[in-house]
Amino acid sequence: MTREEVMTGLVEILRTVRTIEPAKLDTITEETDFITDLNTPSTEMINIAAKAEQKFNVEFEDEDIDGLGSKVRDIVDLIMKK
Amino acid sequence: MTDEKTLFNQSFDSLVGIRPCDILQYGPSKLYVDDYHWHIPTKGIIASYTPTHENVNDHFGIFRGVDQIEAFAQASIVSCAGFLECVKQNCSLIELRNKFLPAFISIGSVNFQHFLTPGDRFISIAEIKFYKFRQMVADGRIYKVPRDLDLTAYFQNFTPEMLFAFELEPTFTLVAELSGITGRALKKEILTKKI
Repeated sequence: MTREEVMTGLVEILRTVRTIEPAKLDTITEETDFITDLNTPSTEMINIAAKAEQKFNVEFEDEDIDGLGSKVRDIVDLIMKK
Repeated sequence: MTDEKTLFNQSFDSLVGIRPCDILQYGPSKLYVDDYHWHIPTKGIIASYTPTHENVNDHFGIFRGVDQIEAFAQASIVSCAGFLECVKQNCSLIELRNKFLPAFISIGSVNFQHFLTPGDRFISIAEIKFYKFRQMVADGRIYKVPRDLDLTAYFQNFTPEMLFAFELEPTFTLVAELSGITGRALKKEILTKKI
């Protein structure tokens, strides 16, 4: 799976998160920050990670999530690593 | 009080019979769970607390709404997540307590229907809605219950279906409905670094 495919799948997940403004997803890049750019609550980050597990058929460890940065690239890296 | 060595070595099927003060990290003035009465680890829990005069000090003799939420959170997400994490990590409740601190993450909604005064015993009845990455979400209700009722005996044959439907005695008074009560166990070492 390429990074572009992961980004596309991730944006599909993010469109289901009601706390994220859909318009902000039109300009999302790997440098977008979930907290400062998308105003994503920390509780949603866990939900996004759980949905990413299902969508990309991967499994994250608790430690992966503990050390996860707040940029989109961080979760893309994590998915690619798995 | 449960012997610490016993808690350290013993594995449990549920939290019923365990004293909350032995596994929760709150000090006496902030511990809002007296007893666990029913617990199916992946489904939910029922626990009770009776507010004291100290609990309502400077608040018109009424147990505060935020303290009701705290009591529900301690009974549900903190207790249940702690138990499940022990199972996952194959460690004791004491070991877990030494590694993590419970953090309140968010509240979906709360509607208060009634109030509680000192001596009013209440139950938190909680359904686990989500648990992953040490984060738990629970929904449920708080009911005021008769003071002399043996709650553990009352809930002995209770089922998850009865919990989901809140099949309870008409003598129980609905006090609050809560949803999206969310908490996460944070590593103590992370908090120490940040401080």
